Amino acid sequence: MKRKWRAGLLAASLSFAAILTGCSSKEEQVTLDVFQFKVEFKDQFEKVAKAYEKENENVKINITTVGGGEDYGAALRSKFASGNEPAIYNIGGPQDVADWLDKLADLSDSAAAKAALDGSLNGVSVDGKVLGLPYNQEGYGLIYNKNVFEKAEVDPASIKDFASLEAAVKKLDSKKSELGLQAVFALPGKETWVTGLHLSNAFLAPEFDNNVLTAFDSKTVDFKYGDAFKKVLDLQNDYSVQPTVSLDYSKQVEELFSLQKVAIIQQGNWVYGSIAGIDEDFANNGIGILPIPVEGYKGDTIPVGIPMYWGVNSKADKAVIEESKKFLDWLYTSDEGKETVLNDFKFIPAYEGYDSSKISDPLSKDVYEYAEKGKTIGWTFMGYPTGWGQDELGVQIQKYLSKKATWEEVVDATKKAWETDRK
Amino acid sequence: MRTRDLSYWVFLMPVLAALTLVVIAPLFLGIYYSFTDWNGIQTKGFVGFDNYIALFKDERFLNSLWFTTKFSVVSVILINLIGLSLALLVTAKLKTNKVLRTIFFMPNLIGGLILGFIWQFIFTKAFAGFGSIVGIESLQGWLSTTSTGFWGLVILMSWQMSGYIMVIYIAYLEGVSKELLEAAEIDGANAFQRFRSVIFPLVAPAFTVSMFLTLSNTFKLYDQNLSLTGGGPYNSTQMVAMEIFNTAFGRYDMAYAQAKAVIFFLIVAVVALVQVYINKKREVEM
Repeated sequence: MKRKWRAGLLAASLSFAAILTGCSSKEEQVTLDVFQFKVEFKDQFEKVAKAYEKENENVKINITTVGGGEDYGAALRSKFASGNEPAIYNIGGPQDVADWLDKLADLSDSAAAKAALDGSLNGVSVDGKVLGLPYNQEGYGLIYNKNVFEKAEVDPASIKDFASLEAAVKKLDSKKSELGLQAVFALPGKETWVTGLHLSNAFLAPEFDNNVLTAFDSKTVDFKYGDAFKKVLDLQNDYSVQPTVSLDYSKQVEELFSLQKVAIIQQGNWVYGSIAGIDEDFANNGIGILPIPVEGYKGDTIPVGIPMYWGVNSKADKAVIEESKKFLDWLYTSDEGKETVLNDFKFIPAYEGYDSSKISDPLSKDVYEYAEKGKTIGWTFMGYPTGWGQDELGVQIQKYLSKKATWEEVVDATKKAWETDRK
Repeated sequence: MRTRDLSYWVFLMPVLAALTLVVIAPLFLGIYYSFTDWNGIQTKGFVGFDNYIALFKDERFLNSLWFTTKFSVVSVILINLIGLSLALLVTAKLKTNKVLRTIFFMPNLIGGLILGFIWQFIFTKAFAGFGSIVGIESLQGWLSTTSTGFWGLVILMSWQMSGYIMVIYIAYLEGVSKELLEAAEIDGANAFQRFRSVIFPLVAPAFTVSMFLTLSNTFKLYDQNLSLTGGGPYNSTQMVAMEIFNTAFGRYDMAYAQAKAVIFFLIVAVVALVQVYINKKREVEM
């Protein structure tokens, strides 16, 4: 009996101890908890944080990264719900800003906000307050294999509109076997973000004047360039490795494109790392970006925008907010920070005062060149209703690709979903 | 039982505390949230039964519920059939008994997510490769249509769970007394009659347990669904758990997703209780 008692007490006290230890310990110095989404630069970012800690001994930076295939938005919500609020976190655009408004500090007086490129703060400014600082710029388009193009005698510079693109694709298709290609394209229909967000953006952005806020405020969507949209989608699908609905990102980029089994994929400058991991030489010398032609609008443009912004938690301690701002300023405006942003992060900077000739990878260089010439379409998909791009449009496109819906049905269904959401 | 004994409560307390913290409290919190318009960050106010009314008109939710039901019915039958057959096989007098048991049980040791990816590879690569060698066109593009996605999930689930269910049947099969079987044999019953009239009623409790396990597991399936088909194509192979998750974390309709979860909980509870009740009635006591 006595032993039973002791065991019971032990079990009880152990479980209480486990609960209690969760909420003790306190530190003197300022700790910045960073919760960010970009897996691609996780290691480099952690290294920079270490260097910053060394220079500023009172600051400790903890970085948590959730991204890649994971759902950052969901993780962020759970993080906040758990009471363990980060000091610095990421927000995507107007919808995120509206959702997190109470928890975003005003960053207008920071050096980084002043250095940010024109228009890059559109999506995160409310009543003259800047609530986020851009990460970087990214751009996407049709990434092509230079070697294959050369062998097939197709001049990439000649592709300036839909007709020339179609002609090039047909020519490549006719020489498929001698070029060692499985198909011309790899269209990842399984990834609803590729079709529903990225591809659609090229054709919907013009309708919203390339401004994410216009899209965010719009009660309706018209698909003004819907026919052009259908043409590019059909072209990609008809000349793609089949079946497209179960083709995913890793198959598209790693298996098919990096191993040179397809000639063109619709992706952005972020795939450079994946391709370099498989074939460094090919990544450095063999790839470039072609425009996504929007018939009736602009033929030779690529969509360039800000993927994510840094937000600072306004509910954190004053000292933490101050240090957070200092850290972000240092990262984007100090000489040392600039160096890392360009060389280690391999970012296309969204700030003034960078030596753009130092951009290292060919895709980023191409994107930057397009941006310089003004041949860009804005990123407005952050202004779509929540879930609309992937869950409505992307899914409807899957239906269309499986021949279970016509294009008209896709347009009608998604138009309605947009209106219901914005009522 | 001396339930009033203090030591009884001391022993029970850690478990009760844990249960309250992680099961009972969240359940009530969840029911509370399902009546609000909580978006994951803030609650603006009560909306009464709006979420519940909307849910019965939500085609997506109803489709996923129907898909889950179909999947569960087929899987429960298949898994129990295969599990019982395997159990009968390895309780027969075979030299390879122990090895076979291990092999059959093995799939259950692999996590659902990984299993999904393994089978995705088999369906999309191995099937396609085999199909192109043999010349069967229909083996191409598995998982890219609704019906192949459905059967893909059924195959995956049966493969994983049969071995586990087998173990339960083995336990009961080995409990059937030899005397009874011998007596039946002396009375002139053949193998089939012995199985039908002696073994089957005696292992009836195993059916109750296994069917409950398979039913609740297949209804709540999430990770295999996520890694194998991801709900695609066009959400047609999306099961309820995944649909709820996507409502919550894809569209941030947290309260609405919570309402769906409450309904889902009720459905699973009712179905499982009814099944156990019916099965219990068929059990015979020795």
